[in-house]
Amino acid sequence: MRIWKKLAIGAALATSLLAGTASAETVRFWYHFDNPENPMDDLVAKFEAANPGIEIEAENVPWNSYYDNLYTALVGGNAPDAAMVKLFAQPRLIEMGALEPLGERIDAWPGKADLLDNLLELNKGPDGQQYYLPIQYVVLYLYYRADLFEQAGLKPPTTCDEFRDAAIKLTKAPATYGFGLRGGKGGWDQWGAFVLSQGAKLEPGGLTTPEAIAANQWLIDLFQKDKVIPASAPNDGFQEITAAFKNGITAMTIHHIGSSNDMVKALGDKVSAVPVPECGGGRWTSYGDESLAVFSSSEVKDAAWKWISFLAEGENNVAFNKATGQMTVTKSGSENWTLHERRFVDATVQSLPFAHVLPQNTATSEFVNTAWQTAMQQALTGQITSEQMMQQLEALFAQQ
Amino acid sequence: MTATTAPSPTDIAIPTPWSVRLMPYMLLAPAVLVTLFIVFFPMVQAVVTSLYDLILWKPNASRFVGFGNYARLFADPVFWTALGNTAIWIGLTVPLQMGLGLVTALLLNRDFPWRGLARALIIIPWALPSVVIALMWRWIYDPNTGVLNDILVYLSVVQSAVPWLADPDLALYAIIATLTWQGFPFFAVMILAGLQGIPRSHYEAASIDGASAFRQFVHITLPGIAPVLATAGLLRVIWVANSMDVIFVMTGGGPGYATHTLPLYAFVRARQNLDFGYGTTIAVTFTILLGAIVAVYLARTMREVER
Repeated sequence: MRIWKKLAIGAALATSLLAGTASAETVRFWYHFDNPENPMDDLVAKFEAANPGIEIEAENVPWNSYYDNLYTALVGGNAPDAAMVKLFAQPRLIEMGALEPLGERIDAWPGKADLLDNLLELNKGPDGQQYYLPIQYVVLYLYYRADLFEQAGLKPPTTCDEFRDAAIKLTKAPATYGFGLRGGKGGWDQWGAFVLSQGAKLEPGGLTTPEAIAANQWLIDLFQKDKVIPASAPNDGFQEITAAFKNGITAMTIHHIGSSNDMVKALGDKVSAVPVPECGGGRWTSYGDESLAVFSSSEVKDAAWKWISFLAEGENNVAFNKATGQMTVTKSGSENWTLHERRFVDATVQSLPFAHVLPQNTATSEFVNTAWQTAMQQALTGQITSEQMMQQLEALFAQQ
Repeated sequence: MTATTAPSPTDIAIPTPWSVRLMPYMLLAPAVLVTLFIVFFPMVQAVVTSLYDLILWKPNASRFVGFGNYARLFADPVFWTALGNTAIWIGLTVPLQMGLGLVTALLLNRDFPWRGLARALIIIPWALPSVVIALMWRWIYDPNTGVLNDILVYLSVVQSAVPWLADPDLALYAIIATLTWQGFPFFAVMILAGLQGIPRSHYEAASIDGASAFRQFVHITLPGIAPVLATAGLLRVIWVANSMDVIFVMTGGGPGYATHTLPLYAFVRARQNLDFGYGTTIAVTFTILLGAIVAVYLARTMREVER
């Protein structure tokens, strides 16, 4: 609409005027850290000392509304110069024309050789261009209570059948439950391990196959019939599932290495991890990516690039990951990795062969942001059937 | 009023100079301009936006669709669910807040030691930020670690923990209870002020005539605070109708659509799905519905001003 354009032009004019009067180039950078120990100030100080003439304004934006804020700022013409971004947002950002291609800059960058293999390939845009510079990664795996499994004479599950069996045996409602399912916002990656592993695909015709509906039904049955999942699951988010696991209310849950230090603090040796189980012959887990991008609206693209490439280099990247609790993207940083206990790193590495990202199209954003959670909650609480849920989700991907 | 308007034969028609006649308008102008800019301009903008198919991340696909969004809205089952929820939301929350506020005010109007302190403390729920209240109650309701279920199970009221916010039949009522707790001090304070405006002599006269406590309440107290109840009630209806922060933090509208109210639905569509055209359509529709209530409120205040 015209008013947005006017606003955008106005804002651009204002910023260019400001930039003209200031002697230093200012790079506005958005990121999201949950961790209260925030090393960003140290990183900024280190960068500014090495690059006189560039000032970094780093802003920690709350995760729950990170993308709402980012899209709105982009359209409103008040976007940062660079930001932390995830792959599911890439198609939308490209459609908005908001991303600056980084291919040439990455090729000319000495740090490229130090990046872990294949990461740049995974991060490519749907049009084959490189817009994203990887900064950290995680892979979802299964947390389990080693002590409870031993007491019950069970082994950590490797298949869905074993998983269900173990969950039933470990459930002593209302005191303990076998599995902590995240039915609220962001739980699609747990769901993926049980449903996308069995051949379901986020594409027209990919979700309503009998196998996909049955796989989804199996998960709903865990909640409704087997009752191995706490009754609060439809409203549970990250805080609730980790709190329940740490308090010993659930014996298994699915998350990534980012929460491992917290889990160890609460449970010590009693918590361990294995890759998610194999379901119906297939295995799927979510590759949790995080990258950095420069926006096409930026007036200081070179300075912004210097800053984001600085964050992706060796020890800077390790310092960055110390705050997020995730894994470094550099070879030099991985060699002496001491930020997590070995067993969680092993579970992460063992999961890599079957770790996937969601398909890159614009419907994926809506699936992740609102659609999955609404449909899952309705299905778990019996308002719709497994088939209706899958039809609802498929309609999203058929729209475009 | 009528006496001064009678024409007087000694009046000579001296025209008032323009500068004097314009004076009041000049004085009003700054306030009117600010209101026009920050209230009416965005409102008109919203009505215009609602006529467009505008999805923020597809800025080039934006096009004029006339009343297309409204047609879509009335065919949207979620809209009707949200409308029903909104009716329950307003219809239960406001009377509950008012009832609890009335009881509290009557108690606080009696003499007892530390009354001043009690009056100060009662305001706390209302003074807390909504987000803090929402987070607090979210943990109170939590079936695994929450204190409410602990107490209920201990007292054997329920056999196992109730998933208050995860059950679509309970979630809305659980949030209504939270908002009732948050909002009743407003009524308590307003009604208390009203109670203190009733002259003691009325009660004395009534008790001499032998009126029971109940009859005193019905014939003196209630008429005495009726204007306060009406005004505070109307204001509260508007506030409660628009408030979605508590719902958003506690359930985000879920499970499914069980706690979607219209303002929340508009917010989710516009801000989370970035579908500004459709989101604004919901907002405009709701504004028109709420406008009926505002009209009653305005008519009422006008009457009070004239009195």
